[in-house]
Amino acid sequence: MARRGSREQQGITLRGSAEIVAEFFSYGINSILYQRGIYPPETFTRVQKYGLTLLVTTDPELKNYLNNVVEQMKEWLYKCIVQRLVVVISSIDNNEVLERWQFDIECDKTAKDESAPREKSQKIIQDEIRSVIRQITATVTFLPLLETACAFDLLIYTDKDLAVPEKWEESGPQFIANSEEVRLRSFTTTIHKVNSMVAYKKDSFP
Amino acid sequence: MSQDCNDEWELYKENVQPLRQGRVMATLQEALAQQEASTHTALQLKKQEFESEIRFYSGDDPLDVWDRYIKWTEQTFPQGGKESNLAAILERAVKTFYEQQRYYKDPRFLNLWLKFANCCTEPLDVYSYLHSQEIGTTLALLYITWAEVLEARGSFKKADLILQEGLQRKAEPLDRLQSHHRQFQTRVSRQTLLGLEETPDDKDTDLLEAAEPQRSSLADLKGRGKKKVKAPVSRVGDALKPVSQTRSTQALTSQQPSSNPGFAVFDENSASGPEIPVITPQPWAAPPVPRAKENELSAGPWNSGRRPRSGARSAVEVPYQQPNFTLYVDESAQQQIMTPCKIEPSINHVLSARKPEKEEDPLQRVQNQQQDIQEKKEVVMYCKERVYAGVDEFSFEEIRAEIYRKRARLKAEEEMQAIAQKKEELQRKIGEMEKKLKKIITEWQPLPEQAAALLTGVFTLPLELQRVTPSNTTEVEDKQSQMKSEVQVFEDIQLHKTSSEALSYPPGPETPFAVFDECSTLENQSISCSADHTRGSARHPLAVRKPSESRTAKENVPPEACEELNAVESLTEDAVVTGSYKYKSFCANLEDTCDFVRAAHLASTPFHGVAAQRIPAPLSQSDLKEDSPESISVPLSQVTPVCEALCINKLSPIMEASLEDTHSTGSSVSSGSSLSSVTQTSTIKYLPISEKLELAQSMPADSGGISENITGDVTQFLWSAEQRMKLLDPLPALLAAAPNFHLKTGVLPAMEVKDIELGNETYCVKREYWTSEEYKMVFAVPADSCLLLTKGFVIKVYSQPVPWDFYVTLELQRRLNADFDQNFSENCSCFLYQDGCALLHTGINCFTLGDVIPVHKSLTEEVILLVVHDLLLVVEKLHKAEIVHGDLRPEVFFLGDRVCDPFGSNISKALKIVDFSHSLDLRLQSRVSLPNSFPIAQTPHGQQLLAESSPPYQVDLVGIADIIHLLLFGDHIQVYQENSLWKISQNTSKALDNDFWSKLLGRILNADGKSTVPLLKELREEISDMFDSSYEERLIYSLMSLGQTLLVEDFL
Repeated sequence: MARRGSREQQGITLRGSAEIVAEFFSYGINSILYQRGIYPPETFTRVQKYGLTLLVTTDPELKNYLNNVVEQMKEWLYKCIVQRLVVVISSIDNNEVLERWQFDIECDKTAKDESAPREKSQKIIQDEIRSVIRQITATVTFLPLLETACAFDLLIYTDKDLAVPEKWEESGPQFIANSEEVRLRSFTTTIHKVNSMVAYKKDSFP
Repeated sequence: MSQDCNDEWELYKENVQPLRQGRVMATLQEALAQQEASTHTALQLKKQEFESEIRFYSGDDPLDVWDRYIKWTEQTFPQGGKESNLAAILERAVKTFYEQQRYYKDPRFLNLWLKFANCCTEPLDVYSYLHSQEIGTTLALLYITWAEVLEARGSFKKADLILQEGLQRKAEPLDRLQSHHRQFQTRVSRQTLLGLEETPDDKDTDLLEAAEPQRSSLADLKGRGKKKVKAPVSRVGDALKPVSQTRSTQALTSQQPSSNPGFAVFDENSASGPEIPVITPQPWAAPPVPRAKENELSAGPWNSGRRPRSGARSAVEVPYQQPNFTLYVDESAQQQIMTPCKIEPSINHVLSARKPEKEEDPLQRVQNQQQDIQEKKEVVMYCKERVYAGVDEFSFEEIRAEIYRKRARLKAEEEMQAIAQKKEELQRKIGEMEKKLKKIITEWQPLPEQAAALLTGVFTLPLELQRVTPSNTTEVEDKQSQMKSEVQVFEDIQLHKTSSEALSYPPGPETPFAVFDECSTLENQSISCSADHTRGSARHPLAVRKPSESRTAKENVPPEACEELNAVESLTEDAVVTGSYKYKSFCANLEDTCDFVRAAHLASTPFHGVAAQRIPAPLSQSDLKEDSPESISVPLSQVTPVCEALCINKLSPIMEASLEDTHSTGSSVSSGSSLSSVTQTSTIKYLPISEKLELAQSMPADSGGISENITGDVTQFLWSAEQRMKLLDPLPALLAAAPNFHLKTGVLPAMEVKDIELGNETYCVKREYWTSEEYKMVFAVPADSCLLLTKGFVIKVYSQPVPWDFYVTLELQRRLNADFDQNFSENCSCFLYQDGCALLHTGINCFTLGDVIPVHKSLTEEVILLVVHDLLLVVEKLHKAEIVHGDLRPEVFFLGDRVCDPFGSNISKALKIVDFSHSLDLRLQSRVSLPNSFPIAQTPHGQQLLAESSPPYQVDLVGIADIIHLLLFGDHIQVYQENSLWKISQNTSKALDNDFWSKLLGRILNADGKSTVPLLKELREEISDMFDSSYEERLIYSLMSLGQTLLVEDFL
């Protein structure tokens, strides 16, 4: 009885799941941009989220851009046609890809037809997301220093039949030639499962 | 919570030091996982590996090892700390290479320094040191790192200056430096703007403070940034407070001074910057001291520190007298002195209370060492650099083990290679042999195919190839049985032959057995030769059948075939040849009494006496003759001839005695030949032929010669003990009367491993020149002065009581009178024992000309001229005295004082000759004309050059030519004939005077029949004409270097 009473409205719907995942991407990308020093640290401000203090950009253009992307993602997530989001960090000077943050999304397409919400506590999802974000922060322990000024790029892998929306363009996967890959944690909303991974240029270390 | 162990890194994230180049996840995980494990064996092993690689690195880039070592350490010890020992490794690496200019432009070396700087409290010191030493000044990384550190401390202006400097110097990669500079500028300008616009929050405190230069310095402003203490409203004052006060006190040391220029950055627009400080390279004599050490006392107040005065620490205190490096002083140091709060730290580095601890500081010690090196020159008498090369200390045992392992590895590789090669060769030869054998057999006698196969089978069996002998067909059966019978007969001979039967056992059914027919040997020379051969090879127990078969067919076989046979045969006996003879078991072959005889040899001393007193019987003569060719086949297998002789002649005491004789005679030749052509297989191949010739000629020559008193035929070797004994019997008065001649009643003192007793003296053997069955030549010094002398005694021990050498020496002295000088052994004593004699030559230099040959490349023209001059002189003198040396090799010439002691008098000679084992006294042995019996006749060039009719003197000319060739080119002479003129086939590529040398050699080689003394004199005078006025000076110089080379070679 008690279970039913308080937790029932916490059930996960497809739209809610898309919302959660999109929000995660928003904060995740912001974290990466801050951690990796793509934008000057002073252009970030702190917010409390997932029980963590996270940094989000205050740069209006960047904000705008990210919002657009996240909105688009949300839509695609809702349609369950997105497979992967990749944050590519490359050197401005020579366009060499230095880091590649990859978030694989597994969509449970059956959720589209279901009307009943899945049962998973939002708190648990938040905990899972928190540990992913924490890991993103912790990657400084092994990631190489980005010595040059870098830019970032977002790649989204969708189902094939999708028409490319305006202001988007098709692109290659932008892999790193000789890379070391580290899997990070994953989280799931039961509808969307996000597996994270970071790949970085391997040093000439023997 | 954690799904798998992959998240280990996250648990330790606080403990993992970030690396510029990133980390390898696998290594990180492993390192973190191992942390818990109690043992780090793998790590220790790897570390040990690096340590030993550092010590035994033989390539030309030792930095590479260190670079890998450091990278590995960084990756493997993510926490850093004491365990990683990174600081120590960096320190040691820096210390190792900081004098190697070639690395100064190497980015790896710079990286090393930059990493090292991070271990220091004051990286800026290191950077400026690098700058002053021009280390890495061509690399952008130095400027970037330097500027970054300065920027982090707020010294924007200085950072800018550094980057400018880098740009000016065009440091590589320039584009990176440029972009960094650009970014730096945008950062600074942005921060300045921000600082001007925004209200200060604690993050930008530094900047804001910097932006407001008017703020007065008050004590309570300290720590303002961190503690969120708001600054007082009134900040007007005249003293400027450094911004970075908020940082840790440790960093304070140079922050204060360095932050001052930082302010100027913001003044730049208003206040003109005419006095922009320029980085002046500071004269650093030694690298700055790393100060980030754990567990070290920090600088205390002066009054509590005591000045170390004790004499024990003098090593440390030496630098008190005006250190030869200038102190690093900040530009702003003077102002700071006025500040009451702190004492300028850069000053008290030298005088601080830390001083007494400097003994623990390795780098400081380097600083001191540098000074010490100039003052006192210490010579380290152990391999210090190996013991202390790495970070860990190695014990001698570890070093030795490493060397041993290295050598063992090398050896194993070589062995493997050799085995593979041998195998291949063997395979090839077997193939060839089979083919040839088949051919031979079909040619010689149309044997059925199976018989051929059978033969092949028989003969490959000894090669242990386990070939199955085929054919049981009746057709072959009779052949087979015949062969069996042959073998049987052969065995019969071995078993039943008695001394009397030795000459008359029934000949075998097949031609091969004609071999054993003595009568035919006597009657027909040519047959006996081939027959002897057959037998010589047939006697090897393993290869019984094959050689006799093939030999019989030898007439129509090309000579290579015979060589092949020989080669294969020697391979089959590999074990005998290579195995130590001494350890051969007695009963390996029951027929073989050879071992027994040899043992008797060793065990009972009177044995020699028997040999000496023996009356030569006709039987033994014939036996001797029969056996001599066999013993010449020694090179095939050094051991077998003796055994063979015994196999045949066993059981009769007389035979045994005669055998003994045979053995010694034979081996005197064989040793001579094997000496003259050290292990050259080509020489071996020629041997049988030359011996054949010799045999053919020795018959008539000797029969009428001095050995007339010996009845029967006289296949005597010119230098056989018997003959010489005859010649010297009774002892010539000259000999007996010589003051240095000592007739001893006892037996020859045993040659111990190290010591030999002669007369009343004991000598310590230092070096062995050569050893053969009969004599042994050693270098010795008196036992009581066991120092390593290069001048001492040369002792020749001869196992026959024939003082031939002494005789020749005395004769030379008599015949040459005044000319008998330092070229010969002027101080020679002879000890004649019952069963041998020993010669003692005094004052001989340890080195022979043979030692010079390996280093012939370093010989200068002067030295060669000198040596050749003396060589000609010596031989001229010998020939004048009608002595033929007969065995001129580089090894018989000892280097004289002229070479070994260049500063001695000029009259001393360059060469000394003491050994006359193969010499002929032509006054005594006048009718000898047998150049072919000399050892040199066994060499390829000797064979070509020496005709049957050549006078004996010719032998020495060939020897001279060979020695000159060896001196010039390091290998034996090779000649060819063109228009009846002998020429050397070696390209005389030596730049200087090659025309001269080829002419000289040509004249020596083509001296046919001419009298040698005038020729040698003429040549010698030609050479001495080349000695000009400066020759002496150049000679001394090159002799000194030669002496060093020889000494080095000797000690190695």
